Amino acid sequence: MDKVFSDKKAIFLFVFPAFLVFFMIIIVPIFFSAYYSTLDWNGIGEPTFIGIKNYIDLFVNNTDGFTMAIKNSFLVAFFSVFVQVPLALILAIVISKGIKGEGFFRTVYFIPVIISTTVIGQLWMKVYQPKYGMLNKLLDILNLDFLQRNWLATPETALGSAFFVIIWQYIGYHMLLLYSGIKAIPTTIYEAAEVDGASNFQKAMRITIPLIAPMIKVCVTFALIGSLKTFDLIYVLTKGGPIHSTEVPTTLMFSSIFLQNKYGYGSSMAIFIIVECLIFTVFIQKFFKAENITY
Amino acid sequence: MKKISSKLLAFAVSGILALSSVGCGGTPKAPEEPAAKAAEASSDNAAKEEAPAATPTEEKVKLNVWHLWTTDADANAKSFMKVLEQYKAEHPNVEIEIDATENEAYKTKIKTAMAANEGPDVFFSWGAGFAQPFVDAGQILPIEEYLTPEQKANLLPSQTANLTYNDKLYGLPFVSWVGILYCNKEMFEQNNIKVPDTYEELLAAVEGFNAKGIVPFSVGAKDGWPLMFFQNVLALRTAGAEGSNAALEKKVPFKQPEFVQSAQMLTDLVKAKAFDEASLAFTYDEAKVAFLNGEVPMFYIGSWFAGEVQDDKISLVKDKVVAKNFPSLAGTKGNKDEFLGGAIDCFMVNNNTKHKEAAAEFAAYVSEHMAKESFLLGAGLPAWKVDTTGETIDPLVQQMVDLANGSTGFVLAWDTKLSGEAAEKHKTLVQEVFAGTKTAEQFADEMDALK
Repeated sequence: MDKVFSDKKAIFLFVFPAFLVFFMIIIVPIFFSAYYSTLDWNGIGEPTFIGIKNYIDLFVNNTDGFTMAIKNSFLVAFFSVFVQVPLALILAIVISKGIKGEGFFRTVYFIPVIISTTVIGQLWMKVYQPKYGMLNKLLDILNLDFLQRNWLATPETALGSAFFVIIWQYIGYHMLLLYSGIKAIPTTIYEAAEVDGASNFQKAMRITIPLIAPMIKVCVTFALIGSLKTFDLIYVLTKGGPIHSTEVPTTLMFSSIFLQNKYGYGSSMAIFIIVECLIFTVFIQKFFKAENITY
Repeated sequence: MKKISSKLLAFAVSGILALSSVGCGGTPKAPEEPAAKAAEASSDNAAKEEAPAATPTEEKVKLNVWHLWTTDADANAKSFMKVLEQYKAEHPNVEIEIDATENEAYKTKIKTAMAANEGPDVFFSWGAGFAQPFVDAGQILPIEEYLTPEQKANLLPSQTANLTYNDKLYGLPFVSWVGILYCNKEMFEQNNIKVPDTYEELLAAVEGFNAKGIVPFSVGAKDGWPLMFFQNVLALRTAGAEGSNAALEKKVPFKQPEFVQSAQMLTDLVKAKAFDEASLAFTYDEAKVAFLNGEVPMFYIGSWFAGEVQDDKISLVKDKVVAKNFPSLAGTKGNKDEFLGGAIDCFMVNNNTKHKEAAAEFAAYVSEHMAKESFLLGAGLPAWKVDTTGETIDPLVQQMVDLANGSTGFVLAWDTKLSGEAAEKHKTLVQEVFAGTKTAEQFADEMDALK
């Protein structure tokens, strides 16, 4: 087997098919998009080359609130990294400690991840519904009527309401990743710590978290990239509304390309999202570069 | 021996992988080839293809047809299915492949397909601004020359204006719609409120219903276009059909007292609590259910909605609804007999289809027969001369026919009259006026700034 792995031809033969697929369906379209982003094109007729004018429209002469959309996506990213992942970590540590009904809780927290986003969106639209929605009804029962809002209809609450669902849905996903990381830590380490008289909190801080740092890195990357390109839930819940208060770059991209027939302009947004995600990924890699801890 | 066999295995496996991946890598391209070939074939073989299709021999023809009627309750869906069955019975040699997609998704889908030259042979479309890019790119078949003399005589010339580009007819309409104010008579009577004929009466009704704790109007403002109808029809009242059309065609600016007033009146309606405060969170479908359940007394939407009102499977207000034109406004350029609406829904034929003759014949057959069926089901007014002797016409539909027969002018919904970017911006502007983040003057200014 070693001989096969050191054989250049064999390596080529093994790697080439996958590379070809990756190249054809990921790299090539990106370059096409980059080319489209320099065009003034309605998607059907004759395109005209306009250089970087689309990018100037995007950042300098912007009229469709693209910078606000970026700000919104950064907000999602912030809440994902600093609320979603920590919550997932706490849940993972708690349920991995062999509490009663471990399998049950693991499944329950994971359910929102399995359900299709469209279904989740419809579900929460009903929860937020101002007249018969569960949230306003609940506030009514608790005598907290003054907190009742038209959740998805007012710009002030719509953003928070949509973000809450995004954060909520993927907690289970990160929890499961972290949970599997924790389960891979040998129990002997914990037993040794117990002999030394370590508390549960100390065990979590000194053993669990350092040992699953690589997995946390994976979660943070997923959470960050996922929120920068978030689309589906926003589209189902608010369609970017009311009056564009919940737009994110992807929803604006969708509306430029498919509703306003501006393929070139929309493509420049796509390129921006790609570049943005790449930069953040590199940043996370640098940030987590600390040595791999093993005991 | 062992080494050789493992090496052989490795090669075999990688060979299989390579082969399968070539298959994968190839697929994104694959659909383009037949389309390209079809394009060539259609230009080269047009003559050859036409010959057998013209004489209805037993040659098998397969047509792909796309439309947007995904709910069976929709009047146009019912009439399309009926006409399709008829057509199939009369044309056993033509195989029809149907693909239905919901309205908003349909717009995306058809644009994408046309851009990739993978459009269907015959498809539902909208005229005016929507189909403009298709026509400009030469992707739509000019259909007039394929119509029989009888068909040409039956098609009402007044209904083709939005489907005519550069003096050529590119689409076949079946019904035209008119904007109707649906009033739940029962709720009006129970609360001792007069069904409004004038704008003052409308404001009185809004006040009256609010006093009883009933939301006067239901509107799916989240979708944009149902809310846009209100501003559009108010502009129709303030500026008249001629004034509205002139502004939409860029002949006069929007920055005129009439259009500022139309936006201001919408703001005033919002202040008078004519709409649910949460309207911006409701889609058209949610809004219409409130009316069909009898929770809301008034709903302003196209005549296509009549079919659903009179369908007792989904409506609790069957036979309790009267159809009105939007209330008249005294002392303005507008006329009380002008309507929001027109013929814009149509069937178009792809210029790249392999079977031009058969596709055009199908489009004409379906449009002409749907004109009658859709009309009888209350989807709108026929765009073709139809013979309805001996048929029972729904009373609500009859009311709309009587209203529309006395009409003196039409203005299309602005988002169909404008195209692409301008249409989207316009809908957003109306939403902003509704939410109070833009004033009426800003509205008019920004309408003028649209391309």
